[in-house]
Amino acid sequence: MPTPSTTTETVTLTIDGQTATVPKGTLVIEAARQVGVMVPHFCYHPKLTPDANCRMCLVEIEKMPRLQTSCSTQATEGMVVKSSSSVQAQEARKMVLDFILANHPLDCPVCDQGGRCDLQDFSHEYTATSSRFQELKRVFPKEYFSPLIETQMNRCVQCMRCVRYCDQIMDVKALAPTGRGTLTEIKAFGAHELDCEFCGGCVQICPVGAITSRLSMYEFRPWMLKRTDSVCGYCGDGCQITFQTKDNALIEINSTQGSGRNNGDLCARGYFGYHVSEHPDRLTLPLIRKGDEFQSVQWEEALELVGQQLLDVKAKYGADAIGGLISGRCTNEDIYVFQKFMRGVVGTNRIDSSARYGHLNGVHALQRVQGTHRWSVSFEDIESADTLLLVGTNITETNPITGLKVKEAVKRRGAKLITIEALNPAIGSISNIVNLAQQHLGVKPTGFSTAILGLLKAVVEQSILDAELQGKAPAYFNAISARLQALSWDAIFAQTGLASDLFTEAAQVFGQGKKVVVLVGPGVLRSEGGFGMTMNLMDLLLITGKLTNPGCGLAPLAEENNDQGAFEMGGTGAVLPGGTSLGDPAVRENLSKAWGRPIPDTPGSSLPQLIEDAQQGKLKALFVVGENPLASLPPSSGIHSALEKLDFLVCQELFLTETAQKAHVVLPACSYAEKDGTFTNTEGHIQSVRTAIDMVGESRPDWEIFSALSVMMNNPMEYGDVKEIGKEIRNLLPGTRTLGPAPLPAQPDSSAIARYVTTDYQRDIAPRYQLPVNDAATDEITLQVSQSLFHSGKFSRKAKGLLQVEATGKIYLHPEEAARRGISDGDMVKVSNSLGEVLTPVGLRERIPQGVATFPEHFDEEIRQLLPYKVDPETQVPYYKLARVHLKKVVGS
Amino acid sequence: MGSMNLKEWVKTLTFYELLLGMKATLSHLLKYKPITLQYPHEKKQLPSNYRGMLALLRYDDGTEKCVGCDLCEAACPSRVIRVVSAEVPEEPAKRYSKEYYMDMTRCLFCGLCVKACPVDALGMTQEYEWAVYDKRQLHLNKQQLLAIGDRNFPVREKRLEFQHPNVAYFNVGFKEIPQKDVE
Amino acid sequence: MLLEKFKDEVEEILSRYPVKRSALLPLLNLAQREEGFVSEPAMRDIAKVLELTPPQVFETVTFYTMFNLKPIGKFHLQVCKSLMCALVRSDDVVTWISKKLNIVPGQTTADNNFTLSVVECLGSCGTGPMMQVNDDYYEQLTEEKVVRVLDDLARDGNCHLKSGPFMFPTTSGKSR
Repeated sequence: MPTPSTTTETVTLTIDGQTATVPKGTLVIEAARQVGVMVPHFCYHPKLTPDANCRMCLVEIEKMPRLQTSCSTQATEGMVVKSSSSVQAQEARKMVLDFILANHPLDCPVCDQGGRCDLQDFSHEYTATSSRFQELKRVFPKEYFSPLIETQMNRCVQCMRCVRYCDQIMDVKALAPTGRGTLTEIKAFGAHELDCEFCGGCVQICPVGAITSRLSMYEFRPWMLKRTDSVCGYCGDGCQITFQTKDNALIEINSTQGSGRNNGDLCARGYFGYHVSEHPDRLTLPLIRKGDEFQSVQWEEALELVGQQLLDVKAKYGADAIGGLISGRCTNEDIYVFQKFMRGVVGTNRIDSSARYGHLNGVHALQRVQGTHRWSVSFEDIESADTLLLVGTNITETNPITGLKVKEAVKRRGAKLITIEALNPAIGSISNIVNLAQQHLGVKPTGFSTAILGLLKAVVEQSILDAELQGKAPAYFNAISARLQALSWDAIFAQTGLASDLFTEAAQVFGQGKKVVVLVGPGVLRSEGGFGMTMNLMDLLLITGKLTNPGCGLAPLAEENNDQGAFEMGGTGAVLPGGTSLGDPAVRENLSKAWGRPIPDTPGSSLPQLIEDAQQGKLKALFVVGENPLASLPPSSGIHSALEKLDFLVCQELFLTETAQKAHVVLPACSYAEKDGTFTNTEGHIQSVRTAIDMVGESRPDWEIFSALSVMMNNPMEYGDVKEIGKEIRNLLPGTRTLGPAPLPAQPDSSAIARYVTTDYQRDIAPRYQLPVNDAATDEITLQVSQSLFHSGKFSRKAKGLLQVEATGKIYLHPEEAARRGISDGDMVKVSNSLGEVLTPVGLRERIPQGVATFPEHFDEEIRQLLPYKVDPETQVPYYKLARVHLKKVVGS
Repeated sequence: MGSMNLKEWVKTLTFYELLLGMKATLSHLLKYKPITLQYPHEKKQLPSNYRGMLALLRYDDGTEKCVGCDLCEAACPSRVIRVVSAEVPEEPAKRYSKEYYMDMTRCLFCGLCVKACPVDALGMTQEYEWAVYDKRQLHLNKQQLLAIGDRNFPVREKRLEFQHPNVAYFNVGFKEIPQKDVE
Repeated sequence: MLLEKFKDEVEEILSRYPVKRSALLPLLNLAQREEGFVSEPAMRDIAKVLELTPPQVFETVTFYTMFNLKPIGKFHLQVCKSLMCALVRSDDVVTWISKKLNIVPGQTTADNNFTLSVVECLGSCGTGPMMQVNDDYYEQLTEEKVVRVLDDLARDGNCHLKSGPFMFPTTSGKSR
């Protein structure tokens, strides 16, 4: 689609007697849609470039010879278009339908698209009841296509929407229109089954039933489905999804084009990962430990026990012997009520959330430099940016929909992309963002910090600096450039393998940008020195004068769907709701007035501190909500011994996870499909989550459980429904009143910037501007335990659709790296370091750099024992995603 | 009273109105011809288009005709039918009704489901003796409905040879669609 | 494999075009020349060189009927099925060959000698019905001629009846 020009120049045209005024460059079919004239079409889609291959949208345009395809004709001034009022066009459409139906089987009754099929609708409209064709229809031999996507090529109308979507939007190019003419057939590669991102886009965009979802195949007819608009519960992108349910069963997920932050695009997790809520292992009753066994009990008994135990611990050891941990997958309302319960009822600030695993690095950096805890950019700014810098994102796998915004900016709008990624520019079965990069700085996962410093050094050497700010804060600039000058290019080359001219070119591209967005991913946020690296990137934006420009900013990507909300709702101990500091007595007083209960002035604590205190016996009880630290953290963190030392462990969970198995009481909670609330996505946009199915068994929404517990603890904190909590939050926190189609990004606070550039930077500039020590032995390989596109945490392992794509973990290597070590695809290798050794199969992937091995974190039960554990001194973020290991092929495998 | 004339007096005296009212009855008293069927012993000849008990049908080779398309369920005005369709376990991409229920207590015998069926898998039999003591017995499943079809339609439709399992159903030229009876 | 073997030629082909993707057809020709058909490893190799995905190469191969996706026999019999030849009974030529070799279009004989295909116009409309066997034309075919050509090819690997590509009948009525 040619982007309608941003100028306000308009043209006025007449369509079927109606006058339409549209921006210049608008297509006739879009102009017609705006005045309510529906021009039938198959191949046209607003997201895709016009192809005009189906010929269904023919219209008569005065003074133009012959009929024109309205999907490829731009509206011009004074144009007179006749669509349904033109006999000629109607006749032509009838002919086109005749040709399409010459080969389309009449199998609507068994076709899953029947009832929502464009071809059906247009056949009704143009009453194609007879045909001139008497020949038998074309029949393709049925071939197995993929575990999740079903093709029935006899039904294909060859509009090529799926092929174009796969290429233009997803940049995967996994579908091939093979053959020619009517015998064109959509295939993968040869007779191989489809191997792609499984975003489901081809299923959603197919106008007929040629490509359908295998997961919901034959389970429904469209008119039986109840639709519930909600938000996806996997990554931080916050995609709008529509649950389609039938008789209280989840049938499929859709996302409507033009709605939500994702504009109708989904990834594999969103489209095929919805079976989690209906997994048979869901907890349906509270469980109480009796010896080694769990016993199912009724809610009253469980709540009474939990309430009593918490009161006992409090009376015996004080409130600070109780800690809380909540998942970033809970709704804002759940997290808010949890922290209110812990602070107001239990009387401790010792709570933490899964935002601690990395997202806090980004939020704290934003807060420290620009005074906001949200991005100062939105997805729209990414799309309209002219220069994008991606650092350690691996965005296709971590935040695929934000990745689509980057692809849109680069592919359609000509933005320049600089990537600092631990990826090779290689074509694979999933899209690879560095293929689109103009400047790619490929590093190992341990090299991000050096590469960022290299870029900063190049920026300073090229004098791409903001003169105004330099005048105001010369000491800050001098301190940075002095430290950068102390770093030698040779040392940077030694650590990254990148020469200085690469950095110089990237710095020049970066400096030329008017609208610059820097996206930071888990490669930075979750690996050692993450906070320092994020701060250095803030420095980069600041010294080049980009930070305060509209449309520019730093965008740390959240891993879990509500990591941002967990921070904003006060889910991390030292931060009160609204991102305000616990240390500020005025804030505390205001909040305790609003709550009508005192807020303890004891310090909050982080997850690593909770672990440490539990090991030392200072923490006696832990309330874990939806979090699974035993499976998230490596054994080197001491989590096992910490949990064993606890007197009382409560888990509020969907499943009996590793942590829940150690608990004394397990409370069954609802999944996101069964409750109302809001999620805050990575860009700080608050969106509504709605109930699609009934609560499974006796499970209850998290907030309801906290509320009931507060009653049991004689300090009632009662809410009638989730709306009451939402209202309380909105009244308390002005920044949460942004429910709406698009977020208003926060503006950088100039006083915060001034504070940072005058004094605050001095605190930690020395360690930040140092090259990390590189003491790797030559035969060692860097193991990165990382996010896969097909899973999200351990949670999605309960989704049967996603397990069909990826069911086990493998250690992935570059083919040449493997060949050098005498390892081939599928071999078993022994991965070892000083912490232990693990056997795992090998997979080969060209996009993984040499000297690096990756392993999906979702299957890291074994391999996480090899991961060393380190805590950030500033943000208390635990780093445990990288290890140095030896690989050895197991003989006889 | 006093103004009553002779004619009316005679009518009153002979119960004329009564006789008039019973004229039809009395005339039949003379030429007796029984109308009432002695039902359990005698049964009525039903018209050929009688809409009785519903049944599921099979092809001549014994395979079920039903493809589980749910159109009968959509057509039914009183929500009698519930179809659970699925993929045939051994034949991928082939649709059939895994479960098929009819709640005959609700049925109006309107025949819309039969009209809606694209493969003529539903038939209306001449059965009507379906009085039961427990109305749950009128909640019929697929096996029961197939059994009703088996006993009422001994002559089965031939299965078309071009309905190969690898090929979508109805994948035929327009002229070769099996014609439904046109009214 | 293919790319290593013909490194210089591949580089020469790539140097001809400003856009890498343009080199797809010449490279496919190279692959087919080498193996007689375009194999999957070859398609993967070409995709890698041209920064395409394998499905993109595959779709191009399937579009052009002159690329073979399966190994073909020693002699590739390509019978023209376009209008001009069809008017002079090219169908019969296919039937004769099928009868003689017991294969249908798309198949290869068990001894791997002959593969039969029907193809679009080969530009020899004046001398139809005709077929191309590997690089040679056999024109104005009759049943006897077809049988003789097939026998000669099977026996000698050569046949003198070939009229060579783009040879038109001379005025004397004799070709060549």
